[in-house]
Amino acid sequence: EDPQADSSASPLPHLEAKIQQTHSLARLLTKYAEQLLQEYVQHQGDPFGLPGFSPPRLPVADLSDPAPGHAGLPVPERLRLDAAALAALPPLLDVVRRLQGELNPRALRLLRRLEDAARQVRALGAAVEAVLAALGAESRGPRPEPAAAAVAASTASAGVFPAKVLGFRVCGLYLEWVSRTEADLGQLAPGGPA
Amino acid sequence: METRLGAARSQTGGREPGAGRVGKGGPRLALASAPAPSDVRAAWPAPSCARPAPRAPRRLPPRAPGSAGPMPAGRPGPAAQSARRPPPPLPLLLLCVLGAPRAGSGADTAVISPQDPTLLIGSSLQATCSVHGDTPGATAEGLYWTLNGRRLPPELSRMLNASTMALALANLNGSRQQSGDNLVCHARDGSILAGSCLYVGLPPEKPFNISCWSRNMKDLTCRWTPGAHGETFLHTNYSLKYKLRWYGQDNTCEEYHTVGPHSCHIPKDLALFTPYEIWVEATNRLGSARSDVLTLDILDVVTTDPPPDVHVSRVGGLEDQLSVRWVSPPALKDFLFQAKYQIRYRVEDSVDWKVVDDVSNQTSCRLAGLKPGTVYFVQVRCNPFGIYGSKKAGIWSEWSHPTAASTPRSERPGPGGGACEPRGGEPSSGPVRRELKQFLGWLKKHAYCSNLSFRLYDQWRAWMQKSHKTRNQHRTRGSCPRADGARREVLPDKL
Repeated sequence: EDPQADSSASPLPHLEAKIQQTHSLARLLTKYAEQLLQEYVQHQGDPFGLPGFSPPRLPVADLSDPAPGHAGLPVPERLRLDAAALAALPPLLDVVRRLQGELNPRALRLLRRLEDAARQVRALGAAVEAVLAALGAESRGPRPEPAAAAVAASTASAGVFPAKVLGFRVCGLYLEWVSRTEADLGQLAPGGPA
Repeated sequence: METRLGAARSQTGGREPGAGRVGKGGPRLALASAPAPSDVRAAWPAPSCARPAPRAPRRLPPRAPGSAGPMPAGRPGPAAQSARRPPPPLPLLLLCVLGAPRAGSGADTAVISPQDPTLLIGSSLQATCSVHGDTPGATAEGLYWTLNGRRLPPELSRMLNASTMALALANLNGSRQQSGDNLVCHARDGSILAGSCLYVGLPPEKPFNISCWSRNMKDLTCRWTPGAHGETFLHTNYSLKYKLRWYGQDNTCEEYHTVGPHSCHIPKDLALFTPYEIWVEATNRLGSARSDVLTLDILDVVTTDPPPDVHVSRVGGLEDQLSVRWVSPPALKDFLFQAKYQIRYRVEDSVDWKVVDDVSNQTSCRLAGLKPGTVYFVQVRCNPFGIYGSKKAGIWSEWSHPTAASTPRSERPGPGGGACEPRGGEPSSGPVRRELKQFLGWLKKHAYCSNLSFRLYDQWRAWMQKSHKTRNQHRTRGSCPRADGARREVLPDKL
């Protein structure tokens, strides 16, 4: 991979500032995502908080984990995938917030963190899109409609344990994708390889 | 949690709450132990979102009509991760939360029954984990259970048949978390096959000790105590209800936790001169309970804001006195005909407050008997009793913010310091001068002779002592009685 070979990454001053700013935001959200996941597992009870707890990591509606080959892609392509994932996260976080509102109604801090996460990841997604636009590498084609409502309906009827696992999965995906975005923007930020 | 095998009839639980109201301190009611076949359902939604990949073992069985469908089993191996495909563009996507089986294995799924049961503390539970699978040989052999992450002893489990493992739990303790205890069925390799959340607790007891107050007749805030100290081990919802006694419908308070966990605030639309009935309903998965009804008139429970603009100042050079002035709380100033005030004060480095009671309907007071050269903190509060003729005692406001002031330093010689005594036996200059100044003021008022003489001075001193005694003996409404423990009288400010 040679980011220098990507001619769209022309380092204009305002673009550099925008990349730096977005990178900082991604770094901040990575910390928040770690805190959210910690808070989440505390309220679900063991085994959710135990080391080694690992329910199967299936895709969730429109979203899956970053592919192992993600780091090998050109930076703009990585950022497109990041932007797509970040756009899929808010409705899923909203679903988890609603489910937790019923399972843990007194967990006000958790509920607030979930609400904040949806808002913040929306902002990060928009910032990444802006960077892509500045690079001349916008997302291609329309994104599929989020299926979060269907996820919520089916999960709510499936039982409490699946609802807990869904939230665990979504919080895990949130952490993976914001930290992935931070790493990818780091490639473009001043001082990075690009 | 104790997990010994129960000899008594086990309960399969149910999603319906159990018995209704339980009186405070009364016997606990047991849930009926009838099985709940309607609770038997799949733990996981039918996974239709993942299509089988050539090497990905994430083959998910089709959904059976009328059921939530089985669930995939096993943990995804590395091959599953790399072979993941984007989700299909179906209008209804279901969440696949349980993983693809390992590469090469069949797509085992399992169902726990009962699903999310609600149980009384001390009851028993029989649960089953039934394995389904589209590969031959899907079996319950090797399955095991965990509860809140802890593996349950194998002697609690037994195979009912080739595909079903049963579990018997007895004498259940209250749930560890309000979202339910996590009962999980695992495959031999430790992967999660299914889960069910147990809700073990108690029905709520009758809430009691409801108390309410209205701030400036504009709103109503109520507090209560949950029955049995609130520990039901289940999420219990408290709802404050109110209605006009003689007419009107039940209303529900909406702003909770305003002054503590068991409180509610009604911000507006309250009627005066007519009684309200107020009660609290507590509800959880196991039942409900209702408090006694409290009847009150808003005017009988009025409180107000602390008096604003509290000023504390010295009284000339008097070293043992401070003057306190305040303003009537503005929200009720037109109604406070019979208001009572209280003052409390303490030395800066003390935690003991001295209280001056019944400072009735005046907005100033003089504290006496204080230590010279000392910083005092002073607070004032108001009780707006008697509003619109209410006969009730009224409710004290909060104390005002502390106001500090210091008494003048003593000029009398004392141990370790103080002003030096003058030579020749002359009276010390400081206190005598002060007294003489006061004496001259008195003289101008009461005597026709302004010549200073010690005889007149002695007469004046005697008069002062006598008038202090008289003031102490005849406490009248409108004066500030002495504070407990304070040296002596608190003088009306007009002196």
